[in-house]
Amino acid sequence: MTTTISATRKEKTWTKRAGTLVLGAILAFLAVAAFFPFVYMLLLSFTESESLRFSLSDVSLNFVNYSRVFKLTNFLNAMKNSMIVAVGGCFLNCLFCSMAAYSLEKKRFFGSGFLFFLYLATQAVPGQVTLIPVFTTMTKLHMMNTYPALILPIINGFGVFLMKQFMSSVPDELLESAKMDGAGEIRLFVNMVVPLIKPVLVSLTVFTFISTWNDFLWPLVICTDDDMQTLTVALSLLKGKFTTNYGLVMAGSVLTFLFPFTLYLFLQKQFVEGIALSGIKG
Amino acid sequence: MNRVRKKRLKDNLVGWAFVLPSFLILLVFTLIPIVMSVYYSFTEYNVLEPAKWVGLSNYIRLFSDRVVVSSMKNTFFYTLLTVPLQTILSLVIGALIAERFQNTFGRACKGAMFVPVISSSVLVGTIWTMLFATDNGIINGILGAVGIDKINWLGQRSTALLCVCVVAVWKNVGYFLVIYFAGLMNVPQSYYEAAEVDGATRLQRFFHITLPCIKPITYLVVTLGIIWSFQVFDLVYSMTSGGPGNATSTLVLTIYQKGFREYRMGYASAIAIVLFLFILLVNRIQRMFFREKE
Repeated sequence: MTTTISATRKEKTWTKRAGTLVLGAILAFLAVAAFFPFVYMLLLSFTESESLRFSLSDVSLNFVNYSRVFKLTNFLNAMKNSMIVAVGGCFLNCLFCSMAAYSLEKKRFFGSGFLFFLYLATQAVPGQVTLIPVFTTMTKLHMMNTYPALILPIINGFGVFLMKQFMSSVPDELLESAKMDGAGEIRLFVNMVVPLIKPVLVSLTVFTFISTWNDFLWPLVICTDDDMQTLTVALSLLKGKFTTNYGLVMAGSVLTFLFPFTLYLFLQKQFVEGIALSGIKG
Repeated sequence: MNRVRKKRLKDNLVGWAFVLPSFLILLVFTLIPIVMSVYYSFTEYNVLEPAKWVGLSNYIRLFSDRVVVSSMKNTFFYTLLTVPLQTILSLVIGALIAERFQNTFGRACKGAMFVPVISSSVLVGTIWTMLFATDNGIINGILGAVGIDKINWLGQRSTALLCVCVVAVWKNVGYFLVIYFAGLMNVPQSYYEAAEVDGATRLQRFFHITLPCIKPITYLVVTLGIIWSFQVFDLVYSMTSGGPGNATSTLVLTIYQKGFREYRMGYASAIAIVLFLFILLVNRIQRMFFREKE
């Protein structure tokens, strides 16, 4: 009796182990499938041939394609633009959204309930609905091809919503006692509130950075000057112009990907959290 | 009394002062544009001349416009294919990692599958265009090795949209996987233990415990998936630009072409409003569906 039980148990662990092995192989295959195209991109960017069929012997660690990208196109400038827009957008979005969230959560003032409803309700409206009016407004204000035109629409109600939830964990007593000590409103906000909401600020920054860096449609329509292109637009143009020069296009692709990917490697946890947290936003 | 009033005034002022910057931006770049968009949709407007009121004619025209109708069909097809696929795949992979691979290997796989999520759709489209290339593309290369002839994946009507869908699923799975994984971690372990005592099989446990417990997550994943699908633009633009013919043109691509290529802003606005109404409608239906099953 005991021997049969131990035999079936043994069998069970064996089948389980075999199952884990098979399932692990499937999972590994899926992970490779997710990552392989990026490896391919990197390898092709180091091959000089205009062929897609790369052999490892063609791969050489020279930066011919990269120097060509910089020479033939506006990529360096586009990198600068993307950086300015992403950093500016992140900073303003975090600042304005945390200010609004703080006020809506911690202050009682006339119209605050309705205001919060507005911040929430506008989240349901897809960006394409406001695309054309915002574009015409910008042209009327002569703001086409400017940084503010790229940066200002980044700020949105979603950040307020996200921050407000977090703001409730800031203890009122702490704010009251600081006020007793004679701290002014601005000082209170900067010195007490901001340090306490740091985690959610990081999440919002990561999310805003990635969505801004990767944004395409808005920069495409609002920036018609070559000098104002962002990286996604520059890459799209590069692909259209040098369709069959695969190494060159891939070098451009690597350049657009380099910065977010490096950030991801170092801040993996914050990335996954920030982006998953922000799931409510499209 | 006076002091109370003074304090209330101060609270109001300070409260509004903190909200003002973001509220002004919300007003100028979202609230007013929504109203403008509705207005534009009833006009003929090419930016240079003032908008001309034309009533409902934009709406009437767009439903008989071949380009718009085919872009609607493509958007629906794209949604119907990608949303179920990416939802099921991300759930299955998430459950697999949660049950068997809560270790370094599982984390590494999850991390690798998240890389497409952080890359831009334009980049993804660019890389996949090369993978799908007819001559020398890797996909045709692999198929060639097993004796299948070269396929012009992105250049022919029958496969182009399908390819875009596959790439979209590839890009999105990592995202929804993370959401599902977090949800699966929150299912109380005691439920499973109780079910095991009762002799429930693994499949029974999955369908009777896991699925009901993560229903809110599924709702979120499906909702987001549908909204994203309806708004697809970057990927299509960079892979096929809507071609061949209109085989892969989507609603947002059509909005872009009508608005910013042909400068028919009124007409494009009407399409945008219809897109919005579609999203609202689908969300309503979906909510009914999710509630009914409870």
